[in-house]
Amino acid sequence: MSGRAVAVVGGVTPRWGVRSATWSELAQEVGAALFRAVPELRSEDVDSLFVGAAEPERFAFQSHVAPLVAEQMGLRPHRIVQRTELACASGQSAIRSAYAAIAAGLSDVAVAVGVEKMNLPSMAEANTAMACVMDRPWDGPAGATAPPFFAMVAQRHMLEYGTTEEQLAAVSEKNHRFANTNPSAQFYEKSFPRDKLLRLPLIAPPLRLGDCASMTDGAAAVVLAGEEHVRRFTDTPAWVRGSGQYSDFHNLANAGSLTDWVGLKQAVRQALGQAKISIGDVDVAEVHDCFTISEIIEYESLGLCPAGEGGRFAADGRGDVGGDLLVNPRGGLLGCGHPLGATGIGQAVEVYQQFAGRVPPARQSPDPEWALVHNLSGSANVHSVMVYQGGGAA
Amino acid sequence: MSERPRRRRPQSRLIPPSPSPPPEAAPEPPKNIPERKPTNSRPFLLDFFPLESEKETRLSRFYDRLRTGRLSTTRCPKDDLLHWPPRTACPRCHTEELEWVDLPEQGRLYAFSAVLAGAPLGMESEVPFSVGLVDLDGVPLRLFGRIEGKPWTELTIGLTVRVEPFEVGDGRVFYRFRVAD
Repeated sequence: MSGRAVAVVGGVTPRWGVRSATWSELAQEVGAALFRAVPELRSEDVDSLFVGAAEPERFAFQSHVAPLVAEQMGLRPHRIVQRTELACASGQSAIRSAYAAIAAGLSDVAVAVGVEKMNLPSMAEANTAMACVMDRPWDGPAGATAPPFFAMVAQRHMLEYGTTEEQLAAVSEKNHRFANTNPSAQFYEKSFPRDKLLRLPLIAPPLRLGDCASMTDGAAAVVLAGEEHVRRFTDTPAWVRGSGQYSDFHNLANAGSLTDWVGLKQAVRQALGQAKISIGDVDVAEVHDCFTISEIIEYESLGLCPAGEGGRFAADGRGDVGGDLLVNPRGGLLGCGHPLGATGIGQAVEVYQQFAGRVPPARQSPDPEWALVHNLSGSANVHSVMVYQGGGAA
Repeated sequence: MSERPRRRRPQSRLIPPSPSPPPEAAPEPPKNIPERKPTNSRPFLLDFFPLESEKETRLSRFYDRLRTGRLSTTRCPKDDLLHWPPRTACPRCHTEELEWVDLPEQGRLYAFSAVLAGAPLGMESEVPFSVGLVDLDGVPLRLFGRIEGKPWTELTIGLTVRVEPFEVGDGRVFYRFRVAD
């Protein structure tokens, strides 16, 4: 890594779910929660603001959201103020942009915040918004949205490798169980044992309701700081040590193999290479389980198991507590819900809290040093990865 | 790949046969495209079907050819590269001198699923509907589209499907696939 060292020095995830609150109210709520969670933070410290929001135009009929969020949060950014949009990875994009700005010396203390309000009076309208993520004039008229696309991914994985519905349910059960330890999660109070998951209705066969992340209202925020400012805020920073990204295709016709996620392999190689570690060094991972099949292919693409063995990896509990690597202890997108722009920020909050030893024991990684965060976006055509190191000096 | 020789085409169910076949090489866009009347009940930003006329897109020829029953795309003669979707500039050499070629009418299902819930606006009444990726015969293209003709429970990978143009209902056209008899 070149440039100034940068760390996440605090953050917060308020309640996610079907919220009785507007888009702007979610922004205001996360602002109030952030200043409570990071009491050392003063409004005037924040020189820059990066807002991850995928589709405020569609979900809230609102553009130009960066200054809106600044006002809602009580911030007056005076160096950089912008929105980042990368569909499901909009939140991580905000963090990456803040990191890049601080590393380059253009910012000292920045807030990265994600906001999405997805539950609308008409679910069909919300589903229409989700469909805009695809190549709208070409794939849209056929009704392309995420569930049928990832269903085809699951179908091919089952055909090519013998992956089973029970293995998909193993991912969902684990992440929902972790969500039961996370009061911010959409499904904090709901339990999903495997036999129940296998009886839920099909949404896009072979995917059932429990295989799909929900439509979620929610926000999350983190503070990032340059190395000389870090100790003002925390003794347990999460240092950004690597980041990688890869954009492979957009129209579904150009996806190539549905089960070999080349872009993720590229992004993770970049990120781990910058951090000078290997996947075996990672203690906790937050990966993008928008669907159960996603987490299974991510096990393979991250190099945790050979191609085709992700299903068995899940069923054998190798991504669970006491397994090879603790994956999605926060509850994942399946358990926490997936407010698009907030998801990547919520994952970073979990990493910060894991390093600080501040999560419930049922999901705490024992003394973690390295964490990896992954988001895919759209039809898994873009992959974004960040690597964090806990403790230690800059 | 050169322009495919024109073969007799099965009549589409919805598109009447064109009164006179369009010219073979580099068809000119039809001269009198009627102005699109705003007959669609959905506002543009809630309408999935694209704008198709010469006034609205540089790819109007795709829709003109589709109206005559031919699914086509652009090809870069310099790179011998077939594009999907059709383009105005080659992504490899960036030339804007592209040619139009017809695509095979038939292909095989590579993967499929069905939308049983969560359909976008305007498609709710079509649930359940099937979608799939189709490997077109003889060309390196795998197209996404609706799969008609059989319920999703009777679809199988490898099944032969045919390209089927259809009218959107306000003068516009699009394509889908139908399980071959």
